[in-house]
Amino acid sequence: MNQTASEPILTTDGIPLKVSLQKSERKNKIRAFLLVAPLLVFILVTFLIPIADMLVRSIDDRQINTVFPKTFEVYKKWDQQGLPSEELYETMFFEVKNSEGYDIGKASTRMNYSKSGWKSLLKKSKRKFKKIEEGPYKEQMIAAEKRWGDIDYWKALGVMVDPTTMGYYLNAVDLKFDSNKEIIRQKENRRIYNHTWIKTFKISFLVMFFCLILGYPISYLLATLPLKYSNLLMICVLLPFWTSLLVRTVAWMVMLQQKGVLNNLLVMSHVIADENRFQLMYNQTAVVIVMTQILLPFMVLPLYSVMKTIPPTYMRAALNLGASPLHAFWKVYMPNSVPGISAGCMLVFIIAIGYYITPELVGGKDGQMVGNWIAYHLKTTLNWGLCASLGAILLAVMTVLYWAYNKIVGIENIKLG
Amino acid sequence: MGSSDSFVKFDKVDKSYDGEILVVKDLNVDIPKGEFLTMLGPSGSGKTTTLMMLAGFETPTGGEIYLDGEAINKIPPYKRGIGMVFQNYALFPHMTVNENLAFPLEVRKLSKSNIEEKVKKALGMVELEAFGSRMPLQLSGGQQQRVALARALVFEPRLVLMDEPLGALDKKLREQMQYEIKHIHEQIGITVVYVTHDQNEALTMSNRIAVFNDGKIQQISSPDILYEKPENAFVAQFIGENNQLKGKVKSINGKMCVVKTEKGEEIKSLKVNVNSIGDASTVSLRPERVEINSSDSSFENSFEAKVKELIYLGDHIRTRVEVCGNDQFIVKVPNSYKGANLKEGASVKLSWKASDSRALDLR
Amino acid sequence: MFKLIRATFLGLIAMAYASSAYADITFVSWGGAYTASQQKAYIDTWSKGSGVTVENYNGGLGEIKAQVEAGNVTWDVVDVLPDQAITGCDEGLFAKVDQSEFINDLVVPPVSDCVVPQIFWAYTAFYDKAAFPGKKPKRMKDFFDVKKFPGKRGIHTWANALIEMALVADGVKASKVYDVMSTPEGIDRAFAKLDTIKDHVVFWSAGSKPLELVSSGEVVMALAYNGRIGAAILSEGKDFEYIWDGTVLEQEYLVAIKGGNEAEALEFMAHASSAESNAEQAKYIPYGPMRKSSIGIIKKGEPWFITDSGNIDIMPHMPTDPKVLKRAIIADPFWWADNGAEVHERFGAWKGN
Repeated sequence: MNQTASEPILTTDGIPLKVSLQKSERKNKIRAFLLVAPLLVFILVTFLIPIADMLVRSIDDRQINTVFPKTFEVYKKWDQQGLPSEELYETMFFEVKNSEGYDIGKASTRMNYSKSGWKSLLKKSKRKFKKIEEGPYKEQMIAAEKRWGDIDYWKALGVMVDPTTMGYYLNAVDLKFDSNKEIIRQKENRRIYNHTWIKTFKISFLVMFFCLILGYPISYLLATLPLKYSNLLMICVLLPFWTSLLVRTVAWMVMLQQKGVLNNLLVMSHVIADENRFQLMYNQTAVVIVMTQILLPFMVLPLYSVMKTIPPTYMRAALNLGASPLHAFWKVYMPNSVPGISAGCMLVFIIAIGYYITPELVGGKDGQMVGNWIAYHLKTTLNWGLCASLGAILLAVMTVLYWAYNKIVGIENIKLG
Repeated sequence: MGSSDSFVKFDKVDKSYDGEILVVKDLNVDIPKGEFLTMLGPSGSGKTTTLMMLAGFETPTGGEIYLDGEAINKIPPYKRGIGMVFQNYALFPHMTVNENLAFPLEVRKLSKSNIEEKVKKALGMVELEAFGSRMPLQLSGGQQQRVALARALVFEPRLVLMDEPLGALDKKLREQMQYEIKHIHEQIGITVVYVTHDQNEALTMSNRIAVFNDGKIQQISSPDILYEKPENAFVAQFIGENNQLKGKVKSINGKMCVVKTEKGEEIKSLKVNVNSIGDASTVSLRPERVEINSSDSSFENSFEAKVKELIYLGDHIRTRVEVCGNDQFIVKVPNSYKGANLKEGASVKLSWKASDSRALDLR
Repeated sequence: MFKLIRATFLGLIAMAYASSAYADITFVSWGGAYTASQQKAYIDTWSKGSGVTVENYNGGLGEIKAQVEAGNVTWDVVDVLPDQAITGCDEGLFAKVDQSEFINDLVVPPVSDCVVPQIFWAYTAFYDKAAFPGKKPKRMKDFFDVKKFPGKRGIHTWANALIEMALVADGVKASKVYDVMSTPEGIDRAFAKLDTIKDHVVFWSAGSKPLELVSSGEVVMALAYNGRIGAAILSEGKDFEYIWDGTVLEQEYLVAIKGGNEAEALEFMAHASSAESNAEQAKYIPYGPMRKSSIGIIKKGEPWFITDSGNIDIMPHMPTDPKVLKRAIIADPFWWADNGAEVHERFGAWKGN
C-alpha cells in the first residue's frame, strides 16, 4: 500500500502524470497571462510606478549630496560646537562658487525646507563669492553674508548628509530632527499637520456617516419602488454627477453663506434674528455639508445595487413570522444590506480623505484637509518630498483601514453590484 | 360565525391594483378547519393575489376576509399568526437553519429552552436534525424547502399558506415533497391554503381544489369530482386531458341532452352547462372513457373514426383519431393484443357512454 | 532604470496637464479679465498673434516642473508670480532672457535673469461706501480696528501680504516692514496683530469672492486684487472705495519655459514687455505697468481706460500711482522665497487652531 503510494503515477506514454499535466497547463497559463498583460502593463505604468515613485521621493535626499559631496565629508568631522573650521568653510566656498547649472538652485530649495533663508543665502553668496579670490575664506564669507556666521544654518545641514531621510515623514506629523538628528517636536506655532490629519479623518468620517444616514433610505426607496418611479429618483440621485464639481460647490456657497438663501429664509420666517445668522459657510460645517452632497451618489449606488438583490420576500417572510416592520428591517433587511453599507462607506471615506477642491473653496479658516496642504506644497513650495510623505501616509492609513476591515467584516462582504 | 365550516371566509372580496381592472372578482370561499385547499389556475388568474390578501400583504379593495370568525382586513401581517412558505423559500441567508427557525419564536418572546425544544422538534419533523447549524445556502433545494416548511410551522400557526413552494424543485423531488407535505398535513391537521399552477400537485395533495380563472373561482370541489365532473369547459380543459367536440344543443330531456355537430353527428350527453335548445356547446370527454371497436351495446354513443396517428407510450398507445369533425381527438388504447392491431389510416368504431360526455358551455 | 520610471511618471503628469493642439507657442496665464487684457494688449497686436494658443492655470510651478523633468514641454510662455520666477529660474525651469532693453526702465529691478516685466498688481483693502455712512476707514490700521469699524473682514486664505499689512497696521512704516519681518519677533508681532481680527474674518480663495462678500454685505471690508476692485467700480458701477494705505504690490512676470519653443517665446515676450504693450494693457485692466515709461504714456493718453460708455481716467485706480506708492509696500519675493513655506505653515496653524 505504502509502496504504491510513493510511486509517481505515469501516463500511458510513461511520463509522470504531474509533468504531463504541467506541460498541458503551461499553454493555458501563458495564454491567460497574455490576455491580462495589457491591463497589467496599464496598471503598472499608471498606478504602481507612480506609487513607487512617490514612496521613493518621500525619503530621497540624494540631489543635495551630489551638489555638496566634499562639504558633507568635511561636515561629518564637525563637532557642532561653535562655528565650523576654516576647512569646512573652504570646501563650502568652492562648491558654491564652482557649482554649475541649476543644481545649486535645486539644492537651495531643498536646504530652505530645513532652515528658511538658505535660498537667498546661497543665491546672494554665489554672486558675491565671485569677487573673493583667495583664502582664508571664513572671515570673507561672513563679511559677504553675515548669515555664514550663524551656527543655526550650519547645524541645519546635518539632516541632509545622508542620501535618504525620514525628515519628510517627520515633517508630515509635526516632528523634526534637531541638529543632533534627535527627533523633536516642531515649534508650536508651526504644528499644523497633526491637527490637519485629525481634522481630515473627522471630516471624512462625518461625511461618510451622513452619506449613510441620507443614502440608506433613498437607496431603499430606489430598490423597492416600481421601475418608473425609481428611474426618476435615480436621475435625481445621479444629477449631481452630471454637474461640474465647481458649479455645485459654488451653488452651495450661495445657499449657505450668511446672507445666503437659507439664512435669508430663516430670517424672513423669523426663526432667527437678523444678527444671529448661522455661520454655515467657510468652516468645517460647510465642508461636511457640501462633501456629503457631492459624495452621496458613491454611497447610494453600491447600496442600491446590493438592495436590489435582496428579495422583497425576506421582509414579507419576517413580517409573516410575526416580526414588527422595524424588527424585521433591523434583523433581516439590514444585515443583508451590510455588503452595500461596507462598500459605500469604504468608497466615500477613501474619496473624502483625499478631497481638496471643496475644502479649498468652502473650508475657510478651519476646513482645510491634508489634500490642501499637498496641493500647496506641490504647487507653491515645490517640496515634493513632503507631498510624497503626506501621500504615503494617506496610503498607509487606507491600507491599515482596509486590513482592519478585512479582519472584522471580511473583504468578501464588499459588494459594488 | 366561527362555525367549523368557515375557519377562513372570503366574503365578496374584490381586488384591483389600478382602479380599472379587477384581478379578483366577488370571491366567496369558506374553508373549514383542517382542510387542505389548493388554489389552482394559470398565471394571472388571481390565485396568488388571493393568497397575499389572506397573508396580509395586500388589502382587499372590497369585501372582507374572516379568520376564525374575526375580520382581518385591518390586522397587519405580523399580527395574523399565519405561517407561510414562499415560492423561493425566503430563508434568511445570514442566519443558520436554527436561527431561521428560532426567529418567529424569538419575536414571540419564548424562553430559550422552549425555543430550542421547538426548533429541534420542527427540524425532526422534516428530518433535518443534523443540519441546524448550517447556513441555508449550504443546503440543497429540497432541504431548503423543508426548512422553509419547518419555519412556517414551528410557531404553531392557525393556518399555513404555501405559494408555489415546489416550483423551483426538479420533478422527482417535487413529487417526493408533495407526499411529505401531505403527510405533515395529515399528522398535525393544520389548515393549509396552497397555491399552484400544477394540476398534478393539486390533485395529489388537496382535500379540495379551487380552480381560478380570470379572477373568479370556476369550480371548487374535491379532486375526483373536479376531474370526473367539470362544470365548465375551462375546468374540463384545465384539469387532465380532455377531448372536446363542438356543436349545438338539439334536444333536452331532463338531465340529458343531444348535441349536434356541424357535420350532423348527434352526441348524447349529460346536460351540465347548457340551458336551452340551440345553445352552442362543447362536449367534454376524457380519453380513457372511450372504447375502440367495442361490441358492448351499452354505449349510447358510437361513431366511425379514422386513425390519424399512433404514439407508443409503453403501457398504452396514444391514438389520435378524427371523429365528429375533430381531428385532435385522443383515445388511450391499452397496450393489449387488441390495441397492437391498430394501423394508421384504419377505420375504427369509437363508443362511449352518454354519462361520460358532458355538454358544457362553449369556450 | 529609475530615471526611466521617473520620466514615464512625470511624462504622464505632464500629459495630463497638456491638451494643446499644435500651435506656434502656447501662452499660459490666469484667465478671466486679466488674460483678456493680455490678449487685447499684446497678443492681438503681435504680428504672429494668431499663432498663440492661450491656456489658463492656477499658478504654481508644479505643472511646469513636471513638464520640464519629463522633457515634454507643451507650455512656452507662462505668466508667473515673482517667487516662482525666482525658484523656477534657480531650478532651471525657465530660459534666460536678454533684459538690456528694459533693465533701466523698471520701477524695481527684475527678480531674476529669466523674466520680462508684466505688471504690478496689489492686495488692496476696500469697502462699500454704503456700509459706512459716517466715518470712513482710511488707513490699514482701520482695517484691523474692529472696535472703531465693527463688522467682518474678508481676507485670503494664504499668508502673503497679510503679514506686511498687519505690521503696517501695528505702526511699522511701510519702508521698514521687511526689516521687521526678518526677525522672529517681527513675525510674532504680525501674528499678534492678526489675532485681533481673527474672530471677525471671512476667508476667501477665489479672486471674485471678496467682491461678492462686500456687495452682499457678508463683510464690511475686504482685501482683494486691486484689478478686481477697479473692474467692479469702472465697469459695474459699484460704489466701492479703496484703502490705498498699506496696500501690498506684487510683481508679475512672463517667463519662457526651457525646452519649449524658446525662439518664438522670447520674440513674443519682447513684444509683450515693450513700454507700449505695458501701457496698452492698462486700457483694459487697472493693473500698473512695471516700466516707468509706460506710466508716462498712460498719463499723456488719459482718459486711458476703455469702457462701453467712453473712456475714464485710470491713474486713480493704479497701485503704481506715485501717491499710492509712497504708502505702499512692494512685496519682497526673495523674503517670501526664503520664508514662504514656514510662514504659510504658521499661518495654517493660526487659521486652524
